[in-house]
Amino acid sequence: MSGADTSLWPFVVYFFAVLALVATMLGLSWLLGQHRANAATNVPFESGALSVGSPQIHMAVEFYLIAIFFVIFDLETVFIFAWAVAFFELGWAGFISISIFILLLGVALVYELRSGALDWGIKTRSGAPTSTLTQEAQK
Amino acid sequence: MGGLQVPLEHVQVLAALLFSCGLLGLMLRRNIIFMLMSLEVMLNSAALAFVAAGAKWAEADGQVIFLLILSVAAAEISVGLGLVLQIQRRFKTLDMDSANRLRG
Amino acid sequence: MNIDDLQGLLPLLTLAAGATALMLQIAFARNIKLTSFLAVATLLAATLSIVWAGESAPRFVTPLLRADKLALVFSALFCVAGAVTAILSMDYLNNRGDEPEEYFLLLVLSTLGACVLAYASHLASLLLGLELMSVSLYALIAYPDKTKLPLEAAIKYLVLSGAASATMLFGFALLYATTGTLQFSAMAQQLANIDTGNITLLVASVMIVTGLGFKLSLVPFHMWTPDVYDGAPAPVAGYLASVGKAAVFVVLVRWFIASNLFRFSILIDCIALLAILSMLAGNGLALLQTNIKRMLAYSSVAHMGYLVIILVVGSDLAHRPLAIEAGMYYLIAYTATTIAAFGLLTLLSAGKSQKENIQLHDVSGLFWHQPLYACLMLVALLSLAGIPLTAGFVAKFYLISSAVSDGRWILLGSLAIGSSIGIYYYLRVVFYMTRRVEEHKNIPEAAHGLIEKFMTCTLIASILLLGIVPQSLMEYLRSILQLVN
Repeated sequence: MSGADTSLWPFVVYFFAVLALVATMLGLSWLLGQHRANAATNVPFESGALSVGSPQIHMAVEFYLIAIFFVIFDLETVFIFAWAVAFFELGWAGFISISIFILLLGVALVYELRSGALDWGIKTRSGAPTSTLTQEAQK
Repeated sequence: MGGLQVPLEHVQVLAALLFSCGLLGLMLRRNIIFMLMSLEVMLNSAALAFVAAGAKWAEADGQVIFLLILSVAAAEISVGLGLVLQIQRRFKTLDMDSANRLRG
Repeated sequence: MNIDDLQGLLPLLTLAAGATALMLQIAFARNIKLTSFLAVATLLAATLSIVWAGESAPRFVTPLLRADKLALVFSALFCVAGAVTAILSMDYLNNRGDEPEEYFLLLVLSTLGACVLAYASHLASLLLGLELMSVSLYALIAYPDKTKLPLEAAIKYLVLSGAASATMLFGFALLYATTGTLQFSAMAQQLANIDTGNITLLVASVMIVTGLGFKLSLVPFHMWTPDVYDGAPAPVAGYLASVGKAAVFVVLVRWFIASNLFRFSILIDCIALLAILSMLAGNGLALLQTNIKRMLAYSSVAHMGYLVIILVVGSDLAHRPLAIEAGMYYLIAYTATTIAAFGLLTLLSAGKSQKENIQLHDVSGLFWHQPLYACLMLVALLSLAGIPLTAGFVAKFYLISSAVSDGRWILLGSLAIGSSIGIYYYLRVVFYMTRRVEEHKNIPEAAHGLIEKFMTCTLIASILLLGIVPQSLMEYLRSILQLVN
């Protein structure tokens, strides 16, 4: 425990130093600065140019889908990595297991490709392209 | 091993604090995205507690469960985000209260 | 891992292979007829494979899974329940939404999760089975019908069930920190050396009971149940109520036996309290409902309350075999009955009218309009109420006799009060069905296919058979439970 204490105290000092610095900066500017409430007080200052439009831009829904797929496939690589680390210890049994695992991932990818989840722009889901097109048009 | 040795209890307290943060967030927040984030915090706090326990017994089991929890959480969240997309489309809002037609 | 191990896992392998095949089939040739046929075939093949898998049982297949008769019996039950749900929902899906093929894929995956739970002998396999089942169920609730109510039910279920999983996992982590093992039977040896008043263990058990109580919807963790059942499509609600609960309960019982958790008296007292609250509140709130789905939801809360009595009774070693046996029989009877009751709702909402929330007055005069379906509902309700000659009666009889032998009078008292309230609201539905309504315009148009009629007859027959000749199943359960104990 004593070893842990000695290596910890610089962090504690650093933490409080940061707090003190930020508090001083904010406090000084509040004390010394002027307090005004004009119409333009809360407008963000961007070299004199007024900002245009809303920051809440609507992103196409495909981005979210890709992000969701990324989350899934990205995490599956964890298992492949764990296998790779213990490659020699696991031997053929591990190889067969991971092959089945990768095969299943491949099947999932094929499913996503074929059902049009990875298409950009207008969806062309297999099976009923026309009905989905009209649905897109209605939106 | 070596370097900074953190006792198990400290990690467990940290995990418990994280868990409480997640639970509070889940109960107080009304936006579905934030609720999902709180859920993730709760799951990860449990995962942290597993890693700490695994380190105590010097076994890989804790870390294996950590990986399993990560992938399970990813699956849960991606289904959740899929639902969020549909909810945004139907309800035009992500507020849990305004999307409350079922009365418990 | 050798051939015998794989043989023991045959049902799981069949389901997994079937799910992969379904996925490829959906990717390359979307066809609802083919998909539903493949899904039902997979589930039935998995059921049949259990006969062969039984030859290599009992054995541990890796420390994670234990292929014994208990696992196989319940895997068979879940596969059959899945197949019945798939068959009953065919007509329902035809009239709803486009591209409903993934419904069957999700159903197979969910059944796979339930079977893994039946096999689980390790906390990791418990986690994986539970999540595979639940995540498929979230999607199943919202998938067939992307309107507002199912979406809301799905997100509610996802958030609350996820929170329950996290709570349970945190409890597991604390348990692992105290015992140093995740395997059920190894845990028994570690727990035997630990004082029952250990504070970490206490916190862990409270968190685990909370998490599992959520999944089993015991009062006070039942709030999601009526909302989710109400919003979910009828076949999915039936599947969730039967298989979703039964799988969790099987793994709970297995864990209690393997790790001998019965000696922690505080845990047992907590469970007894939850049981009493569930029996009283579940039945009391069911009385107030006019929506049949919500009524069945509260009734399932009450039934889970009856069921966890066996964990309390099992804490006495002398009565444990009888209690566990009664619980397993109850679980089978409950699954069959719940599938039947929700099956009727599925058939009624399958028609073109797409009526989703069947109210009490919607079924008035059903006997004169749809005698066969009304009989199904009648048998299911009588079984839920525990009237003689049905599966529910035998199950409840065994449950009560095991509780009497152990002298748990408070539990028995609440069971009696709960059941008598139950009889009133179950028979109220029957009363509505027999009403002679002059104009039958209220009744939703029901499915008329030959398969549906066949399934209806099968369900009625199975509930009555379980109620009239329970001896052979009871003896079989007794023989396999001796091996587990």
